Amino acid sequence: MPDDNSPAPVPSSPAPPVLSSAQLFGVWLNIGLQSFGGGGATLTLIRRAAVERYRWISEEEFAREWALCLFAPGINLFAITILLGRRIAGVRGILLCLGGMLLPSAAITILLTAFYAQIRDSALVKAALRGVIPASVGLGLLTAYQMAATPVRQSRRDGPGPLALTLFLLLGSAVAVATERVPVLAILGGMGALSALFALVNRHRQAHRKGTPSA
Amino acid sequence: MNPSDPPNPWTFFLLALKASLFSTGGMGNVPSLHGDLIGRGWATEREFAESLAVGQISPGPNGLWVVGLGYLLDGLRGALLALLAICLPPLLVLAVEHFYRRVENHPAVVGFVSGLSLAVVGVFVIVLWKLLQGNGLDPFSVSMVAVSILLAATRRVPVAAVVGFGALAGIVADLVRR
Repeated sequence: MPDDNSPAPVPSSPAPPVLSSAQLFGVWLNIGLQSFGGGGATLTLIRRAAVERYRWISEEEFAREWALCLFAPGINLFAITILLGRRIAGVRGILLCLGGMLLPSAAITILLTAFYAQIRDSALVKAALRGVIPASVGLGLLTAYQMAATPVRQSRRDGPGPLALTLFLLLGSAVAVATERVPVLAILGGMGALSALFALVNRHRQAHRKGTPSA
Repeated sequence: MNPSDPPNPWTFFLLALKASLFSTGGMGNVPSLHGDLIGRGWATEREFAESLAVGQISPGPNGLWVVGLGYLLDGLRGALLALLAICLPPLLVLAVEHFYRRVENHPAVVGFVSGLSLAVVGVFVIVLWKLLQGNGLDPFSVSMVAVSILLAATRRVPVAAVVGFGALAGIVADLVRR
């Protein structure tokens, strides 16, 4: 998003409401309950509560914190919840926010699976599953495409070298795992290290070029 | 498909923890867990497909799919162990934030993370391919994949509805076949 407008002083809107522990827990309970439809819906609900409704954080800071969360291990939505929770009320905030979000969604997941486990051997469910599996494969492929699209586009802008590296990282890891010879973690770590190496070499070369005036 | 053996709870927890610790995003842990659990005979392709579908349908992050998998493999104990295993790694975001300013924009860090996320995608696609293979590679399966991609790409159809549509199509296809 362009940050062209000068930092407009926040219009004199009423001060954000201060919440008790129970209220804070309730806010996140609601987020957990409402977020049907995957992570995108959850992030929207969190942003709306944190930036617009309760103003725990500014729009820009939220974007920065979210970027950090993409670097953290595990579920990014948990990470942003943890950062917001600490910002609101320290360790207590982390527990209340994460617990509130998790309680309904984890409970529903368990109940749904438990119900499913009861009926999973019925002929009807087996027939339905023949359609559900390719449908969720399709959803997964779309997610994979979305995850790859931005870095591929970016590297194409950077030139043929970076584009080739990006495609190699994508295809190479796919081929490596398809052979079933290399442990997955070794593939991920190896590709990360390779990419880090190229980034270092690249930075070195750029610094060198900058140093010589007749580049 | 044969039912899988019950997993050793402690090892299952550690495998789930490892998978989440060395990946990012709710689905990043699929490849590692897939390799480890199927390799040990503790899970089947079907159980993976089922729990991924549950994760799509249920509210909250899709990453909760691991909780569904834990339940299928080891009941409530498995579900709770899985939940704990996916809750711990994101706490490291506090450390990430703390050290961010020092290594901010360090090329090696940026490079490693971008390489890692690309590799996750490459591995993920192969896992999806194996799930599809387990389901049978027939015209029905392949066209269902295409239809669900098209439906989801419009961003108008909720994910749960796409999964529901798949269930309905599976039942109808079964009736037609008879």
